[in-house]
Amino acid sequence: MISDNAKKQIDHWIEKYPQGKQSSAVMEALKIVQAENDNQLTHDSIQAVADYLNMPGIAAAEVATFYENYNHKPVGKHIIRFCHNISCMLNGADDLIAHLETKLGVKTGEVTKDGLISVKKVECLGACVGAPMFQINDKYYENLTADKIDDIVDGLQ
Amino acid sequence: MADIKIEIDGQIVNAKAGETLIAITDREGISVPRFCYHKKLSTSASCRMCLVDIEGVPKPQTSCSTPVSDGMKIHTQNEKAKASQKAVMEFLLINHPLDCPICDQGGECELQDVAVEYGSDVSRFSEGKRVVAASDIGPLIQTDMTRCIHCTRCVRFGSEIAGMMEMGGTGRGEDLKIEPFLAEGITSELSGNMIDVCPVGALTSKPFRYELRSWQMVSNESIARHDLTGSNVYAQTYKGQVKRIVSGDNEAVNETWISDRDRFSYEGLTHENRLLTPQIKVEGQWKEVEWNVALDFAIKGLSNTVLNNRKAHKLGGLASSTTTTEELYLMQKLLREIGCENLDHRLNVNNLDEAIHLESNLKLQALEQVDHALIIGANLRLEQPMINHRLRKAQLSGANITALNVKEFDYNYALNHVSVAPNEIATILAGVLKIVLEKKSIELPEYLSAISPSSSSVELAKDLLNAERPVILLGEHIINNKQAASIAQLIAEIAKQVGANTLNLSISANALGAQHVNFVPNSVGMNVNEMFKAEMRAFLLLDVYPEYDFHHANSAIEALSKEDVFVVSLNSFNNDLVAQYSDVLLPMAAMYETSGSQININHDIQSFTAMVKAPDEAKPAWKVLKVLADLLELPGFHYENSTQILEEFEHQPAHEHSQETAIDLSQQSTAIETVWMHNCYHSDALLRHAKSLSMSTLGQVNSASMNANTAKELALSDGDEYLGVPVDITETVADLCVFVNSNQATNIRSMS
Amino acid sequence: MNEVCFKNLDKDQCWSLETYEASGGYSTWRKILKGEYTPDQIINELKASGLRGRGGAGFPTGLKWSFMPRNAQGQKYIVCNSDEGEPGTCKDRDILRFNPHAVIEGMAIGSFVMNATVGYNYIRGEFIEPFNRFEGALKEAYSAGLLGKNINDTDVSFDLHAHLGAGAYICGEETALLESIEGKKGQPRFKPPFPANVGLFGRPTTINNTESFASVPDIMINGGQWFADLGVENSGGTKLFSVSGHVNNPANFEVSMGMPFSELLELAGGMRNGAKLKAVIPGGSSTPVLTAEAAMGMTMDYDGIDKAGSMLGAGSVIVMDDSTCMVEALTRLAHFYYDESCGQCTPCREGTGWLYRVLKRIMDGKGKADDIELLLGVQEKIMGNTICALGDAAAMPVESFLRNFREEFEYYIEHKKSMVKG
Repeated sequence: MISDNAKKQIDHWIEKYPQGKQSSAVMEALKIVQAENDNQLTHDSIQAVADYLNMPGIAAAEVATFYENYNHKPVGKHIIRFCHNISCMLNGADDLIAHLETKLGVKTGEVTKDGLISVKKVECLGACVGAPMFQINDKYYENLTADKIDDIVDGLQ
Repeated sequence: MADIKIEIDGQIVNAKAGETLIAITDREGISVPRFCYHKKLSTSASCRMCLVDIEGVPKPQTSCSTPVSDGMKIHTQNEKAKASQKAVMEFLLINHPLDCPICDQGGECELQDVAVEYGSDVSRFSEGKRVVAASDIGPLIQTDMTRCIHCTRCVRFGSEIAGMMEMGGTGRGEDLKIEPFLAEGITSELSGNMIDVCPVGALTSKPFRYELRSWQMVSNESIARHDLTGSNVYAQTYKGQVKRIVSGDNEAVNETWISDRDRFSYEGLTHENRLLTPQIKVEGQWKEVEWNVALDFAIKGLSNTVLNNRKAHKLGGLASSTTTTEELYLMQKLLREIGCENLDHRLNVNNLDEAIHLESNLKLQALEQVDHALIIGANLRLEQPMINHRLRKAQLSGANITALNVKEFDYNYALNHVSVAPNEIATILAGVLKIVLEKKSIELPEYLSAISPSSSSVELAKDLLNAERPVILLGEHIINNKQAASIAQLIAEIAKQVGANTLNLSISANALGAQHVNFVPNSVGMNVNEMFKAEMRAFLLLDVYPEYDFHHANSAIEALSKEDVFVVSLNSFNNDLVAQYSDVLLPMAAMYETSGSQININHDIQSFTAMVKAPDEAKPAWKVLKVLADLLELPGFHYENSTQILEEFEHQPAHEHSQETAIDLSQQSTAIETVWMHNCYHSDALLRHAKSLSMSTLGQVNSASMNANTAKELALSDGDEYLGVPVDITETVADLCVFVNSNQATNIRSMS
Repeated sequence: MNEVCFKNLDKDQCWSLETYEASGGYSTWRKILKGEYTPDQIINELKASGLRGRGGAGFPTGLKWSFMPRNAQGQKYIVCNSDEGEPGTCKDRDILRFNPHAVIEGMAIGSFVMNATVGYNYIRGEFIEPFNRFEGALKEAYSAGLLGKNINDTDVSFDLHAHLGAGAYICGEETALLESIEGKKGQPRFKPPFPANVGLFGRPTTINNTESFASVPDIMINGGQWFADLGVENSGGTKLFSVSGHVNNPANFEVSMGMPFSELLELAGGMRNGAKLKAVIPGGSSTPVLTAEAAMGMTMDYDGIDKAGSMLGAGSVIVMDDSTCMVEALTRLAHFYYDESCGQCTPCREGTGWLYRVLKRIMDGKGKADDIELLLGVQEKIMGNTICALGDAAAMPVESFLRNFREEFEYYIEHKKSMVKG
């Protein structure tokens, strides 16, 4: 369930915390395992992480369902997380989200038919002076316009 | 903590600095509403219902989390406090369904009670209410999480008391959902306490579902008797039936928790296999008869076989230790009056020459205080749940605990496992004793001369010697160890040398009651195993079920079934086997249907009254035994109630059975040994008939565990059966031995 | 401008150790390693500087550091709160990207003061670029022998780690943040006990905001008085203001405390398209909204913004012009708190959803005449009754939007459409 490579990455995080506090690494461990499994967590993968960190399954499940960055349904290879909070809203985020939805032929919360891209509407990503903005995977894109969005999205493969 | 004075609602109250406010208001009888607070659980301060106004503090504060300091002025009822409490109540109710009429918690719902006082008649909430999808968490607890108010008492109970976090809160915000993660739902042996702690109808008793309203029932204190704790419970009855068991409060015994075994066993009382009428076997045919006919038949049968021809030594009396002390006392009195010394309650012991003699000399509350415990031969969590709970508390306070077992059981606290085959235990303990004696420069007895302590012995000895308040617990897995008596004596000797207390948990239920009234043969009598080898002519049996109760089940059944043997069975349940060998069936009252007492691990005689009348013609066994004695014209049986019986034996000194067996370590078996344990929900007749427990995850366990090497030796693999039990290959079992945990009857146990 | 946290902003590779050290970076830490400072000296400088917590609460940093039981037995921790997520706030991201060593040195100085040998910087999960910068800086600092156990064979030890979040605004609440580092849901703890006594892993812990830590090294170089003099009374130093919304040049500006809002607006290029200023949220989404008039008369410091009727918060200035529908703006903010409520305590779990649903209903044209009173009533019942400040944060915008722009709400309810947008 957890690859050796993933275990190595998790172990790196475990080392940051005091002896016996390995469950501190659960948030990263879940991300690492998620990344290896189509960007998605399953009941079994959550249990596997819990077992690896010697914590109850339900405790790992609490974390996996509390934080926003874990996916429990199929998602695209690329996840566009579009901020719709106040600063972005004031700068036209709603229209741009609609533009993106039309362009990709999906609604927020959905995945494109080819499984390449999913779009999520998210709360403030902490880049308000660069509004409107979105995040694709690990990267922020700021001061978006419809044209800029087209370029960025067309470059995804 | 310093003594201080605070003011609550204008009243000066004494307190200790740092105490929480709610502990003080509860003590003083000042009512502060609350949902998440529970005196035995950690504080969560999340429901916010107990907000009060403290002078000088701008925001209202929760009573459950506020430590008091000298001179603090608190208002629990002023406008500010009330406004906050009402606000919280309104928030709690907006998403709570208005289904009180069909909710099982109705009438005993904390939310309902508080709402009456703090709620508003008109809800201003006109948005849709939250609905949570139903989930099945097992046969014991019914969930309706739409009613959940997220107090997290059940979650905290799981992680803090049950010691296994099974419930959790997933999601966040409004989507926060209290649920288990595992598909099998909740599996803790203490899970039913979640029902008691749940303030609303989110978690209710599944077997009790839709049965009755709490106010329709009569609730009385009683004692549960499935283990050595004798947990205090409330039996709730309606029209002559026990409808529900809930936890009672007794700090010295079970605090405020009970095991699922104690909570749900009552279901067995109404099982279709209850024996309801007296029956006699005439020419091989069973016939239901009046009590006097049955009793006359019994007397006649006993007279013909053993009494008329002065053959009382051909009569055997056997009783289950799940019976009351009064019943056991009367039965031994009756037998001894007619000159019969063949009596025993130690039905499951293979070799009574190797019977365990070890005293229990530590009370439950003191068990919490030990700094080291050595558990030998026990899966305490399932066998003695509340004793395990005390030990868990000790461990959480820092005690170091070691278990010397054939299998690494799932404990709910950290401990050191030492896995050993049964035939290694005596040698390891002898090694411990040798180290201890050498350390104290005490001359070694002969039997230790050839012992060279193993590394395990060294570790165990070190822990015992280093501890200030150690305890050694001997469990049920040892009763059929070939060196059981020696093991017990080695423990007694080690305990004496290191200043340890001991707890003898190799017995259960009311075995201490049986010991107290001397329900064992004297020097001329026969023990249970001897009786089955002798040419007996008659037996008097008290709630005995051979296929489960006897170690030598086959020879027991054979002896009882002989053509010329007359068997009188006082039973609460009937089955084909009982019907096959018995000649008279006398229906007896079961738990909660009779008055009496149990002697628990604290050596407290805990008395109880009958909660309900036994069904149909069934009678309390003490009454039946009394009438039998009267019919036999025996003197001294003029009892009008069971209390008179209690008065007769309660001040008798407890019988000591400290017959010294010489410690003998020479006989070392090399065979693969089997430790056979009944599934914890099949350990007595009432439990075996309690359906919901049988359906639960723990009740379903039926496995013969062994490691791969042992399986190879026995030529077994997964999917095979061993002694009729499915093989489970696991490296948690010591080499060359088998641990059976079975929920099945078996009659082939005597093969070892 | 740009005198403290952003002082190297114009330099090449401003995040590198080389750049940082060239402007005096780590000089204080090196002095500490040489035994040239006592903890009390540092606390005194901080007290003199008037530095107040930059995360939003504004608690004096020197005082906070003095609360830590530095002589208590056992492990103590120092924690940096880089879980930036309050709408309007994006200053810590830039500090981590452009001046990570200031955070490291600030934490190191704090660790010495509080005798905490281990530190964690909690960075929000989405800040991968800032996280990588910070990790890079940590690597540099370790390589340069500035961190670790018994640094330079002294008895000073400091190990610093970054911990990444995973998407939960509530973890910016300091005790939720501690829970999160412990690998749990970010649910705030009730207080007392306070983290200074029972913090991370149950040990004494001090938590400060990224900007607070990043301000410490320069305070130590130039002295507390220098920093205090940069600002005004009660608001020492400079402050990063994130100016976003309807302005021509939205950006982070490090300016002296006490700057008039009108000047800050000019720095941000003035109103976009010359539109009319309508409203300002001066300190992040949870601080009360101000009318244009109130905002234009205010100075950007703790007392100045307080006097105008709001709070400095994290210095997150959201500027709205007259095209803004205040019903829509409040609904968006209410959704935020509804979405980010941890769910632990009753008033916030139930109340934030209630507020959002009523507002959403108004937006959907199904508003009722008494909805405004209902909203005011619900926010009042949340206010002050929750475990942490998120409840108050959810309540305050509702109260201030309705107080300052009530007619827009009345209009929307009555006409089932926006007064501004139609």
